[in-house]
Amino acid sequence: MSSPHQKPTGFLIGFSVILVVLVLIPFFVDLFYMTFLTEVLVWVLFAVSFDLIFGYTGLLSFGQALFFGIGAYSMAIPISKLGIGPIPSFFLAILVPMAFAGFVGYFSVRLSGIHFVIITLIFALIGSTLGETWTSLTGGADGLTIPFTPLSVGPLTIDLTNINTNYYLVLIVVTVCYLLLRRLVHSPLGKVFIAIRENEDRARLIGYNVKRYKLLAFVIAGALSGVAGGLYGITLKYASANFLHWGVSGHAVVYTIVGGMGTLLGPVIGTGIIMILEHYLVNFLQGTDLVIGIVLVFMVLVAPKGLVGLLKRNSG
Amino acid sequence: MALIALGLNMIFGLLHIINMAHGVLYMLGAVVAWYLIDLTGNFWIALILAPMVVGVVGMIMERGLLRSIEDKPITTIICTFGIMLAVQHLVFMTFGGTPRRINVPIEARFQLFDLQYPLMRVVIALISIGVMLGLWFFLNKTKYGLWMRAVVQDREMAIALGIPVNQVYMWTFVLGAALAAFSGVLAAPIVYVDFMMGREILIMAFIIVIVGGMGNLEGSVLAAIIISLIQGVGSIFVPPAIATVFSLAFMIIVLLFRPQGLFGE
Repeated sequence: MSSPHQKPTGFLIGFSVILVVLVLIPFFVDLFYMTFLTEVLVWVLFAVSFDLIFGYTGLLSFGQALFFGIGAYSMAIPISKLGIGPIPSFFLAILVPMAFAGFVGYFSVRLSGIHFVIITLIFALIGSTLGETWTSLTGGADGLTIPFTPLSVGPLTIDLTNINTNYYLVLIVVTVCYLLLRRLVHSPLGKVFIAIRENEDRARLIGYNVKRYKLLAFVIAGALSGVAGGLYGITLKYASANFLHWGVSGHAVVYTIVGGMGTLLGPVIGTGIIMILEHYLVNFLQGTDLVIGIVLVFMVLVAPKGLVGLLKRNSG
Repeated sequence: MALIALGLNMIFGLLHIINMAHGVLYMLGAVVAWYLIDLTGNFWIALILAPMVVGVVGMIMERGLLRSIEDKPITTIICTFGIMLAVQHLVFMTFGGTPRRINVPIEARFQLFDLQYPLMRVVIALISIGVMLGLWFFLNKTKYGLWMRAVVQDREMAIALGIPVNQVYMWTFVLGAALAAFSGVLAAPIVYVDFMMGREILIMAFIIVIVGGMGNLEGSVLAAIIISLIQGVGSIFVPPAIATVFSLAFMIIVLLFRPQGLFGE
């Protein structure tokens, strides 16, 4: 399904071109679109992290929103309640979701197939119910605002309230995560994940400790979802219990399916296209779920490998 | 209320399809009923007609969309999730976002110890029990019910024996959709009719089906009673949200130790 033998030069050229375009964009478009673009990048990271667990390892997790939300709160709570600076908070936004993913994963990876879907959904539900109820900590659905003050690092001053600074920060983090993931899925470890997706029993019989690898994939995906959540908190300057809702995981499902699961490029393309579509549709139909739902059903039935799958079929 | 939630769960397990759109069908039942009551002014007509309408919707879903992917559980989850989003939004666009009320067809109340208890709730409970008994009879005592159970048990064998498996799938789905809608209509006078009302019920349905065991109807009934007891008794001591968390945690334990359900063999 995926193509591990992509020509590396082709990837390098394509990747460099896109990166240059993304670096230069702030000089050409106005502020509104910068916010939008920043959000797209955040969701790209979220979708890619979901794809690692679903597309590569074959585990459909509706629990990613939990780690996304926890990531956002790991930014919000230390900064707004404990007075800890943004930089340590950012590391919290990686480590805390990772720890939670370890906990949830420890139980979840014992199950496969439908049961795995349901158990992750339940964990997510517990998370969002607690998030909505425990308002003194989370601010409930209204959320917590995150006050950012300009930050000096050596000679540089980083002001996260400036959207361009914010954008570049997100761009750097997402790019690094993307490259790490790319390295990961092409490594022997990535091959094990794919082997588990293709046939769990066989992977076990060959001698792999399937549970441990599933847990590993789950924790990595959870940590990356957490990073995405942290970046989302930085971008919107608040965190809300709504981030924890399992419907948020649904976004990642849609982006990944539309783009193409089991490829890293797929979720990127899917996120871009769907978010642009949503952006234009939202004024017409009082929302976008109708179209998104139809697109999703259509893709599942007609092109289960997503847009990337369609492209590959046509080109090769 | 507990009895209603479970009416729709019974088919869940039988289908072996995780139908994310099931809550939406429940909601659709209530919404269609609202329109029918608006039109005819009679709750009981709506109670009969709305499930039929939704049954047709279910038939279209099964025939048109799910047919080709029924053997791939993960794909059906995603597909029905898409259907859920689309239908929910469609209802939002036509029916509107504000909850509406259906008048209680039976206003009478009676004295229960020192509480005023609305008669309607008793009637709803009785109807639910009636439907469940009917369903039990249908599944266990009729030819078609036997076919349905056979298909659940061993699909290949059922085909080999000449059972029209495709037909059975379709009618099971239709029956499930209609039951969901029926519960929706029954619940409508108690709760408000709202395009989001399917969401929570979907979760309840999941819980009950998992705890009771997939495809195990008697298990579903028992599970529904247990879960609503946990919810109800729990709510006396702690806030309802925490009670929900408890029943969710209970479900995780069941999933881990008895994935076949509490009452599975």
